[in-house]
Amino acid sequence: MSTDTEGLSVSRVALYAVLVAMALFYLAPLETGLMTAIKTQDAFFSSTPFVPPFGDGFTLQPWYEAWAQMQGPLTDFSGALYNSAFVAIPATVLSGLIGSVAAYGLTNLNWRGQAGVLMLFVAGMFVPYQSVLVPLTRFWTIVGLQNYLAGVPFLAQRVGLIELIVTHTAYGIPICTILFRSYYASFDQSMLEAARIDGATFTRIYQRIIFPLSKPMFAVVLIYQFTQVWNDFLFALVLVSSPTSEVATIALNKLQGSMVQQYNVQMAAAFVAALPTLLVYVLFGDQFAEGVAGET
Amino acid sequence: MAELTLDHITKVYDDDGSDIVAVDDVSIDIADGEFLVLVGPSGCGKSTTLRMIAGLETASSGDIRLGGDVVTGRPPRDRDIAMVFQSYALYPHMTVRQNMSFGLEESTDMSDGEIDSVVTDTAEMLSIAALLDRKPGELSGGQQQRVALGRAIVRDPKVFLMDEPLSNLDAKLRSQMRTELQRLQEDLGVTTVYVTHDQTEAMTMGDRIAILNDGELQQVATPLEAYHQPANLFVAGFIGEPSMNFFEMEAREDRLSGDQFDYPISQETREAVGDATNVTLGIRPEDVQLVEEGSGEHDFGTVVDVVEPMGNENNVYLSFETDGAAEFVATIDGMRSLDAGQPVVARIPEDAIHLFDTDTGETLKNRSLAELEETEPRF
Repeated sequence: MSTDTEGLSVSRVALYAVLVAMALFYLAPLETGLMTAIKTQDAFFSSTPFVPPFGDGFTLQPWYEAWAQMQGPLTDFSGALYNSAFVAIPATVLSGLIGSVAAYGLTNLNWRGQAGVLMLFVAGMFVPYQSVLVPLTRFWTIVGLQNYLAGVPFLAQRVGLIELIVTHTAYGIPICTILFRSYYASFDQSMLEAARIDGATFTRIYQRIIFPLSKPMFAVVLIYQFTQVWNDFLFALVLVSSPTSEVATIALNKLQGSMVQQYNVQMAAAFVAALPTLLVYVLFGDQFAEGVAGET
Repeated sequence: MAELTLDHITKVYDDDGSDIVAVDDVSIDIADGEFLVLVGPSGCGKSTTLRMIAGLETASSGDIRLGGDVVTGRPPRDRDIAMVFQSYALYPHMTVRQNMSFGLEESTDMSDGEIDSVVTDTAEMLSIAALLDRKPGELSGGQQQRVALGRAIVRDPKVFLMDEPLSNLDAKLRSQMRTELQRLQEDLGVTTVYVTHDQTEAMTMGDRIAILNDGELQQVATPLEAYHQPANLFVAGFIGEPSMNFFEMEAREDRLSGDQFDYPISQETREAVGDATNVTLGIRPEDVQLVEEGSGEHDFGTVVDVVEPMGNENNVYLSFETDGAAEFVATIDGMRSLDAGQPVVARIPEDAIHLFDTDTGETLKNRSLAELEETEPRF
């Protein structure tokens, strides 16, 4: 018996060693980034990047600076973080809602040509961002959104951001639809039939049964879409031209452009830019796990 | 409350170009307040028939009339029906109260107060009043079943449709709910169509039973009629547990000749057989008598193969040859003990036999009901 336990413990030790090594490997960049962000520029140049700062080397100044560059005062409604939120929240909610309704129509209602439409949605998931850049800019030029928004200065100043909202919503619909569809397909069909017999119309069934039961999948979709939209750089670079409308990813990139590379500020700014997505995970984490597990 | 008429309804599915007939020209008249059981093996079209009545499937042809109105083309919500599903189909995110109120909220103009009082009354009737604020996930199967029933009852529909509502319950609870459902239906007096594959449920619950096979209606009759006077071979074999014994025979001048034995027949029986040459002889297990010594022409020497004690009775599987596989079964009193391998004489009385045309399945002769008439005046 003793040999048995020994053999087990040796393999266990090996397992933990590998796990610790992998954890270190994956956490090292994060730790290095964090350490860099709390060092003075001098301390950064005089020490190894992942070593914590000592004495005078420690400073929170990069964070203040990063915040000022990325957002400025919270009352300033044209900061980059604010702009990112202005795009990401509506785009996420809209693609989630539209995806959910579309999935309901594609799963629980019977109509001709359903399979063909579903194929279009699936195909939509595989269109790379790069391939649509030129058509997309042409499209928005032809639409000329600024002409329609001229009467509302608040929106007119943010034409680029509104274009981003619509673009991201459209781009997010296919994946949201597919996610919701697989979730709805697992619903008990007789429950929906019972609702039909109970006198509910298709829209009422969506409102009172499908939508309330969709919460876990909404968490999945919201987290996924929010991260996608928040982290997008390419569309923002192409569609947003006004400096007051730049989003977090663009602002972060601009920090790098100065004459002197302020690594500590860049790192702090990267953390500031990543914080909202982290916050979304924390807020919807429980529901997310439920949705991924596919519980109904 | 209303009478329900199925008028030549047919359902054809298109399966990759080839047509599959799920329900074939079924016509049934169901009287106001009647409890009709649709029974048959799985895939016989009984659920499809029920779903057509509900409006969840559209009939390919034929009409469904409810209280004189043709409802064939109407969506489920315009039919004034309520349905209970095998899976209960409760709304998991709603409390029992909300589950039961849902239908009234969606289909009537009743005020919240009225709905609440109806729901509370019904819950009391079903003894689930204490569960009103719980969610379905917190309830046992039997309790969920009651909620599903309650949800149907509060609607006060013209017809209840029940799709194998008891098959997810354990055996004991099932027989308890069977009785309760029957009593409930009698109290409410609502026309009910009940689908099951379980012939015991069909026999015990229905005012009448409709037996379906391969989408075709075999017989609509009271349980006792279906048991004693089956319309064909299928019904005879399907109704009754253990099922009727069948022997394939050839009709001769004065007897039926089979592989195992010859069975002499009277003039009357001979007339019933008519021109049929291939005949199936049927006898219910309880009509086979086991006697000590054979004396008559309808007595046959057999050997006991297996005995299944049921307590109140024994099912005795018999073989015509020693060491042969069991060929038929006799039901005898539970106190009478027999051992495997023991030779016994099986008496197959002529007035208890059923005869069917083997080729068409049609009944040629049903058992005589002379002795039954004394106890069952309906026959």
